[in-house]
Amino acid sequence: MRIKVTSVYVDDQDKALRFYTEVLGLAKKTDFSQGPFRWLTVASPEEPDGTELQLALNSNPAAKTYQQAIFQQGQPAAMFFTDDVKGDYERIKAGGAEFTMPPTSVTGSTIAMLNDTCGNLIQLTQLMRW
Amino acid sequence: MTDREQYTPGPAGGAQIRKEGEKWTLILVRELRHSPEKVWQALTDPAHLREWAPFDADGSLGTAGATVKLTTVGAPMPHVTETTVSRADPPRALEYNWGGFDMRWELEAIAGGTRVTLWTNIGRRFIAMGAAGWHICFDVLDRLLAGQPIGRLVGPEAMKFGG
Repeated sequence: MRIKVTSVYVDDQDKALRFYTEVLGLAKKTDFSQGPFRWLTVASPEEPDGTELQLALNSNPAAKTYQQAIFQQGQPAAMFFTDDVKGDYERIKAGGAEFTMPPTSVTGSTIAMLNDTCGNLIQLTQLMRW
Repeated sequence: MTDREQYTPGPAGGAQIRKEGEKWTLILVRELRHSPEKVWQALTDPAHLREWAPFDADGSLGTAGATVKLTTVGAPMPHVTETTVSRADPPRALEYNWGGFDMRWELEAIAGGTRVTLWTNIGRRFIAMGAAGWHICFDVLDRLLAGQPIGRLVGPEAMKFGG
């Protein structure tokens, strides 16, 4: 058993695919549909066979409620690890993304938070070297 | 061999695509050798839908205003959406929304059967996949109404016929 896929809800899968690939720099992994259901995942180009992030449509009202509530609380819907949070911050910001928190030192790491334009906050985390 | 094992998709045809803004609509036309009343029942009755449709319904789709849960069959994770039947004019016109896709069915009596037209929204990249999937569903529907059901062919079962 492995942890292979996790998901974020998005309000528009085409828009999400553009943001997660063109702005964040992830790569499309799987994309197929069955009726109104569309299975869409992205992966890191640094780890193409690594964990996939499913961009799931928030058509389920419970999903929408959950998504909005954690967004309003400032909670990230997903967290990505990086070796260079400042570099990623500059690159993603230059791509047009809005950061709600610039790179900030916290216990054990430096974190930044951005709005994915699909209803979520995404946290970037660079672990501190001890 | 059973009829199901012998099944191969019939010749493709009767599919059109229409684009309005960013919205794509797949239009499928199929002539079935059965009366509009029989086809109507197959489009609306949960026990019939289970034999051919790409979704299960927890109630009849045959009454305007009815709220019905539709479960996509064969998707890689459970996918349930609630629909309200917006139009039910038996045995001629049926409209509801499947998970954000507008579904419009029209039935027209023709000599020896019914001409069925389905309008359904579809993502641009999935037009061929959707048209092929519905084509197989209609093949299965035709056999079901002929009294020779071969069982629903959706999801991975339908993908086996990919060329």
